Amino acid sequence: MYGDESSKSFLRKMLPRIVKAVIKGLLYFVLLYVVPMFLVSQVSAFAPRLFSDYGQVVTLFAAVVIFFAVASELTSGTIFQHALNIGKALILIIFFVVALGGGIVRLDLNIQESLPVSIAADLSVYLMMLIAIDLMGLAKSVLQAINFLSESAEKQLPQPQPAG
Amino acid sequence: MKQAVRALGWATSILWIILLFFTITVVYSAFQIRPSFTTKPSVSTSHDTLIVSLPFILYNGGFYDISKFNITTVVRDDGGLTMARSSTFVPIIPKGVNASITHNTSLGIGQLATDDLSYLLFNDSELNVAAILKLTYANAFPFEIALNSIMPWGAPLSNLTIGGVSGSSLVPLSFENHSYFEMSGTVQLEIVDNAGHVVGGGTTGFYAPPGSRFERDVAVTLSGSPLNVAEVRLYFQTSFFSYGPVVIPVVWG
Repeated sequence: MYGDESSKSFLRKMLPRIVKAVIKGLLYFVLLYVVPMFLVSQVSAFAPRLFSDYGQVVTLFAAVVIFFAVASELTSGTIFQHALNIGKALILIIFFVVALGGGIVRLDLNIQESLPVSIAADLSVYLMMLIAIDLMGLAKSVLQAINFLSESAEKQLPQPQPAG
Repeated sequence: MKQAVRALGWATSILWIILLFFTITVVYSAFQIRPSFTTKPSVSTSHDTLIVSLPFILYNGGFYDISKFNITTVVRDDGGLTMARSSTFVPIIPKGVNASITHNTSLGIGQLATDDLSYLLFNDSELNVAAILKLTYANAFPFEIALNSIMPWGAPLSNLTIGGVSGSSLVPLSFENHSYFEMSGTVQLEIVDNAGHVVGGGTTGFYAPPGSRFERDVAVTLSGSPLNVAEVRLYFQTSFFSYGPVVIPVVWG
């Protein structure tokens, strides 16, 4: 009897989070996967050899962000939410560095036989922008975690009783 | 603490939106850059220099300026020896502007007379042309496009031959001009015997337009028996270069 009540209250507590996580996941899926993949396919049709590899990058980026968004939503109100946000920020920094080849993107093409073309783009300024914004997100998550822990500790303190 | 978190949250969101907007506009703008080649590349000569001109128009139809636009071409022979290096630099191509650019590659024909490159006077070959285009887009993204291609080289003195030196006072001389430029000037012949002494010679003028064959019987003076002739040395004097001796052994059949 007690077990049923407990699971019911757990479900009641979790249901809004699950619904929110599903909606957020779907929204992120459309914004970070469907729309970018459509754009990549459009651009790939224009210059297939130049952009065809970016489908994998978009897929991986969308997978990372959606996973952390859903997991963060499911664990909202706990310290795990903030831990996941910190983890997301760190993983995204690594992802950006790897995806942009450390800031230098190179591409070797053979437009015609015996006509090799090499394209190199220095995206280090862009990478710096991405990392800087991500570091701000990391700082925000760390501050949120500290705030959450300090509020939890405050709640555990004995409440002062009025004298008399 | 909560205010700081909120401020960071707003700042992060705003910066993500700005970066996304910047990324989309940069990618869109990059596709609005259109080069067009309205005039065909031309080849001309000036003094001892062969000039290949590549005129083109670059339309910057994007939202951002193109700066530090630089084209460099390097021409190398089969062995990797640098024959010519030319650069064209345009400091800035503002957005919405059609920039007319002419890139000239100058090849000093006179340097063909140097030891390392003299084989190009007599043998058709292939030259390696490396073109490197560098530019900075939106003042933030340096780009580099490198292209390698092969250019055929036609020798100006291809199939240079001397006919038999006999008792006659005429020596047949012929060559084919496979190059892009006119060959005109004089050629001096020295006839050398087995002992290494100059025993005769002659001089003639020549004119061979591109793609033509030059043939002439050169009047020579010869002292002694033609059977003792070992070789003929040729000295070319043209408006582009002076080269010699070209030693052609005389083989008696």
